[in-house]
Amino acid sequence: MSAMPIVLPSNRDENWRYANLRGLARARFEPAPAPEATQLGDIAGRLPAALPGYARLVLVDGHHVAALSTALPDVNITHDVDAQEKSGADQRFANLNRRFRQGTCRIAVPAQAALALEVLCVATASSHPALDITLGDGAKLQLIERQLSARGDDSTLVNLHLAARVGEHAQFELARIGHHGAKAQALDTLELQLDVGASMKLVQVIEGALASRSTAFVEHVGREASLEWYVAALGEGTQHHDAFVHVTHAAPGARTLQCFRGIATGRSRVAFNGHMRVEAAALGTQTDQSLKCLLAGAEAEADVRPQLEIYTDAVKASHGATVGKLDADMLFYLLSRSIPPATAESLLKWAFVSDVLAKLPSPELRSQVAAALERQLPGAATRAWS
Amino acid sequence: MLVIKDLHAKVGDRKVLDGLNLEVPAGEVHAIMGPNGSGKSTLAYTLAGRPGYEVTAGSVSYQGRDLLALAPEERAQAGLFLGFQYPVEIPGVNNVYLLKAALNAARKHRGEAEVDAFEFLTLVREKMKVMQMDEAFLSRGVNEGFSGGEKKRNEILQMLVLEPSLALLDETDSGLDIDALKVVANGVNTLRSPTRAIVLVTHYQRLLDYIQPDRVHVLARGRIIRSGGPELARELEARGYDWVLNEAA
Repeated sequence: MSAMPIVLPSNRDENWRYANLRGLARARFEPAPAPEATQLGDIAGRLPAALPGYARLVLVDGHHVAALSTALPDVNITHDVDAQEKSGADQRFANLNRRFRQGTCRIAVPAQAALALEVLCVATASSHPALDITLGDGAKLQLIERQLSARGDDSTLVNLHLAARVGEHAQFELARIGHHGAKAQALDTLELQLDVGASMKLVQVIEGALASRSTAFVEHVGREASLEWYVAALGEGTQHHDAFVHVTHAAPGARTLQCFRGIATGRSRVAFNGHMRVEAAALGTQTDQSLKCLLAGAEAEADVRPQLEIYTDAVKASHGATVGKLDADMLFYLLSRSIPPATAESLLKWAFVSDVLAKLPSPELRSQVAAALERQLPGAATRAWS
Repeated sequence: MLVIKDLHAKVGDRKVLDGLNLEVPAGEVHAIMGPNGSGKSTLAYTLAGRPGYEVTAGSVSYQGRDLLALAPEERAQAGLFLGFQYPVEIPGVNNVYLLKAALNAARKHRGEAEVDAFEFLTLVREKMKVMQMDEAFLSRGVNEGFSGGEKKRNEILQMLVLEPSLALLDETDSGLDIDALKVVANGVNTLRSPTRAIVLVTHYQRLLDYIQPDRVHVLARGRIIRSGGPELARELEARGYDWVLNEAA
C-alpha cells in the first residue's frame, strides 16, 4: 500500500465549490480488514430484502463476501490494488480508492447477453468498493448499486469507484441508492464511456449521510449514444449533498437528458453541478437539463448550476434551473381537502421528487426506497403510490 | 348552517368584501351571482381560509362554530368543501391517494374509523359512475393533464366522496360544454339533502337551469345588494346587472 500523502480537493477547486469537505480532514481512509465469519450473520440481518429477478453481490468494506452473494459465473473478482492513479482534483477520491481498494469487482456482460444484478456495498468503517463493468455489444445490464452503513454509530466512510464501458448498442440501467447512517461520509466517482448506439439510464436517490459527494464523468465516444441521468437528493438537518456530473459529447448524434430534483429542509444543503461539453465533432448533439430544487427550511441552501460548453453549431441544447419553495396553491388545495399541513407538505415534497423516483427499475425497489423515505416524508412516501 | 355578518376582507391592500351579510340554512341551495370583480371568488376563498385573504371585520358562524377561528384543513374536516374555479394540478400525487387521504382525515376528525381499501374503492366507483368518469383517472396525478371539464368533474367527484355539510362551488360551470354541465349538475343535485347546504358562485343562469336554487343573491362591490328567488337569476340573465347596481346605488 502506498505511503504517499493523502491530498484532498478543496472548495477552491471549481468543481468542488459546493462540496462539504470539512469532515474529511480528520477522516481515516485506511480500509477496514475483511469481515470475520462471525460478523456475517449480523451483516446479513441488515441487508434489504432480495429483489425478485436480481442476482446479488455483497461487498463488505470493499471485500467480496461470497457467502452472502449469489454465484455469478460472469463476475470476476480480482485484486489489482495497483490501479494507476490519475491527475487532477476531480480524481483525488478516485485515486484514494485506487490506492486503498481491496479488490476490483469486474462485471463483464458478454455480447448480446443480459444480467440483472444488485450490488450491496456494506460499510462498517472505511470502505473503498470498486466496480469495473464491461458490456459487450448488444448486452443488457440492469444494475442496482446500494450502499449501506452497518455500524452502530453510523460514522462510516464509503469511497466508491465505478467504471463502465458500454459497448455498441448495449443497454446499461444503473440505479444507485444510499442507505447511509446519520454520521456517514459518502463519496463516489463514476467514469463511463458509451459506444455507438449505446444507452445508459442512471437513477440515483441520495438521502442519509452527513455529507455526500458524487462525481461523474460520462463520455459519448460513439455516435448516437443516449444518456438519461436522474438524481433525487433529499437533505435534512445539517446534511450536505453535492453532485457533479460532467458529460462529454465527442461523437455525433448523441443525446443527454439530465433531471435533478433536490429538496433541502432544516439547515441542509443540496447542490447539483451539471457540466456538458459538446466537442466540434459532435454534430447533431441533443442535450436537455432540468435542474430543480425545493427550499423547505429557513436556513436551507440549494445550488444548481447548469453549464454548457459547446464547440459546434449543430446542437440542440436546452436547460432550466430553478430554486423555489413549496407551491402555495398546491398546499392550500390539499389543506382544503382536509389533509393536515405536515402531511400536505410531505406529499408535495414527494411529488417534487417523483419524476426521479418513478424511474426506479423494480416495484420492490421502489417500495423499499419509499419505506426508507417515510421518515423524511411522513404520511407520503409509502402511500402516495398506493 | 352558515351565517355571515358584516364581513369585511381584503387581499393584500385591496378591500374586496365590504360588509357582506348572508344566511344559508341547512337544506338549501343558494346561488351567488354578480359582475366580474364583485368579490364572489374572494368570498369563497375567505370562507375556505385561503392564506392571503384577510378578514378585517365581521363574523362567520358555521354550524354554530366560529369558522374564522379554524385553520383551512380544520374547516374542511368540519365539513366545508370548496370546489375550485381553477383546480390545481399536482403531478406525483395520484387522485386515489388524495381522495382516500381526504376521506380518512375527515372521518378521523369525526371520530370514525378509516375506510379499508375495499370499502373505499366501492364508494369511489359508485361516485365515479355518477360523474361518468373513467377509473383510469384514479391513478393519474391530481388534475394532471385533465381538460377543464375533467377538472370540474373531478372537483364534484371529490365532493361526492367527502359528503360535506356545506359545499361552496366557485364557478363550477365555467369551461363546461352542455353535456358536461348536465353531468356536473347531476352530481351536485345528488348531494342535496335536508342536512346540507350548497352555495353556487356563478356568472350565468344556465347552471341554474339544472340546479334549482332556493335563493339567488347578487354580490356587487363586496356586499349582497339584492336577494330573491330563482326568478331573480332569470331576470339578471334577461336584463344584465346594471339595473340592480343602479337600484342599489
